[in-house]
Amino acid sequence: MTEIVLSDVSKRFRLPDREVTALDGITETFRSGSFTALIGPSGCGKSTLLRLIADVLPPSTGEIRIGNHDPAIARRSHEIGFVFQDASLLPWRTVLDNVSLPIEVAGKAPARDPRALITMVGLAGFEQARPSQLSGGMQQRVAIARALALEPKVLLMDEPFGALDEITRQRMNLELLDIWKASGTTAVLVTHSISEAVFMADTVLVLSANPGRIAHRIHIDLPRPRRLEMMRLPAFNAVENDVRAALFDDGTRVPA
Amino acid sequence: MTGRLLDGALLPPALVLLAVAVGAELAKAAGLLPVTVPAPSQVLAILPDALDDLLHHAGRTVRSAVTGYAIAAGLALVMAAVALALRMLERPIVSLAVLVDCIPLIAIAPIFVIFIGQGPRLHVTVAAISAFFPLLIGCVQGFRSTDRNMDELFHVIAASRWQRLCKLALPSALPYLFAALKIAAPLALLGTLIAEWMGTDRGLGAMIVYALFSFNVPLAWLAIVTVCALSALAYGLIALAEQRVVGWSRPPDTLAGGR
Ligand SMILES: Nc1ncnc2c1ncn2[C@@H]1O[C@H](COP(=O)(O)OP(=O)(O)O)[C@@H](O)[C@H]1O
Ligand SMILES: [Mg+2]
Repeated sequence: MTEIVLSDVSKRFRLPDREVTALDGITETFRSGSFTALIGPSGCGKSTLLRLIADVLPPSTGEIRIGNHDPAIARRSHEIGFVFQDASLLPWRTVLDNVSLPIEVAGKAPARDPRALITMVGLAGFEQARPSQLSGGMQQRVAIARALALEPKVLLMDEPFGALDEITRQRMNLELLDIWKASGTTAVLVTHSISEAVFMADTVLVLSANPGRIAHRIHIDLPRPRRLEMMRLPAFNAVENDVRAALFDDGTRVPA
Repeated sequence: MTGRLLDGALLPPALVLLAVAVGAELAKAAGLLPVTVPAPSQVLAILPDALDDLLHHAGRTVRSAVTGYAIAAGLALVMAAVALALRMLERPIVSLAVLVDCIPLIAIAPIFVIFIGQGPRLHVTVAAISAFFPLLIGCVQGFRSTDRNMDELFHVIAASRWQRLCKLALPSALPYLFAALKIAAPLALLGTLIAEWMGTDRGLGAMIVYALFSFNVPLAWLAIVTVCALSALAYGLIALAEQRVVGWSRPPDTLAGGR
């Protein structure tokens, strides 16, 4: 069981001339095997929140637990998969070697066959290609395959599809949902697309800026598996509108 | 494919060289050059007789230069790795390198003779000192060039320091390393030559000195041209290796000017 629990977490950055409170009073439980989307204006601390969970940064106050462990322990046991906003592939490695990197570093038998992962993200035949030979969407798929290489219990994704066109993005969304369902990982996705958030998540957290706080928590009751046709249903549009209202709201009205 | 690559890399400099040689030949014929500058044909004419001698001396020079170069590269790599691991040591290390680079080798080499003598060890030492600075700067700059996101990635996948060095810092640094290696190769050769002038019985530096003392101007120039050719060859070989090894990268624009 890999629940992520944040208790009254805050993060302050000390700049030479002032202090920025990037996150304040974040208390949230990400249920084991759930899919959560984070949405909010830029600079509201979405990336920072992921970095705190991944033990890239320590919180200034509060506590984070991953499956009842410290994030540092989860990280060192290779339980965290992270997809960065830009694919962050090593340009000197082939696709296969990029996907194999976490396995190499962990030095254990691969939890998943890297070749099978590459096939799963639709890149069969590109195993020996270099990142520079791939489109942005393909690179991002390699990054997702890499994040999954050690079957992480927690999958953190920072706007992974931000740079993709709408069609590729929707295809990737569907693939990602399949992967998530099959692996049972606890997923957190940062996005700036309302429809993506609603389509993917069980819960959409709407953050407000200065300081970054969870302003709204919207549960998505659409059935799974999700299908692209659902995006045209009135029920889907109604939830989208709730999220939109929450996003542009001043933070006083909480939708049902 | 390699053939065409060689053509592309070698043809322009070969044409330039030919133009210079023809120009010098004509200038000599017109009496425009002093007695200390022979016509290229005069230099070529002594080549068959001087070839054994030339190879005898060039072999020693190349060995000293390559040894010094390798030592400098290894030292630069280790010191840059230390600077990478302990950021606070980066400035002192670079300062030390600047200091070493400021040493006027011509003036200090005779002092080295007192400590090390005139043998190959002196030549290797001076070659290493000559090549050290650009190599160190290249390594330090290269290690510093890792992308911040990549750093975070290696942190998240819990890579050890050693894994970070081997799998991230070194490959990231390669384009910078090659730029530095190309600049340092001719410097190592020059350093060897300077050390050989301090007195030795074998080496291209010695050859130039005794050719001049015996007023054998074409022989001196044969040695000089050989040094140039060796420098160009070293540069070319490293550039070739660079294309093979870091084909994934565009060369960095720093350091390109050299010195
Ligand atoms: N390493 C850092 N040092 C200083 N300030 C930072 C750092 N990282 C983020 N911040 C600040 O924290 C706030 C939240 O940033 P971020 O988490 O990147 O927002 P988002 O991902 O939602 O756009 C911003 O004001 C940003 O300038
Ligand atoms: Mg961000």
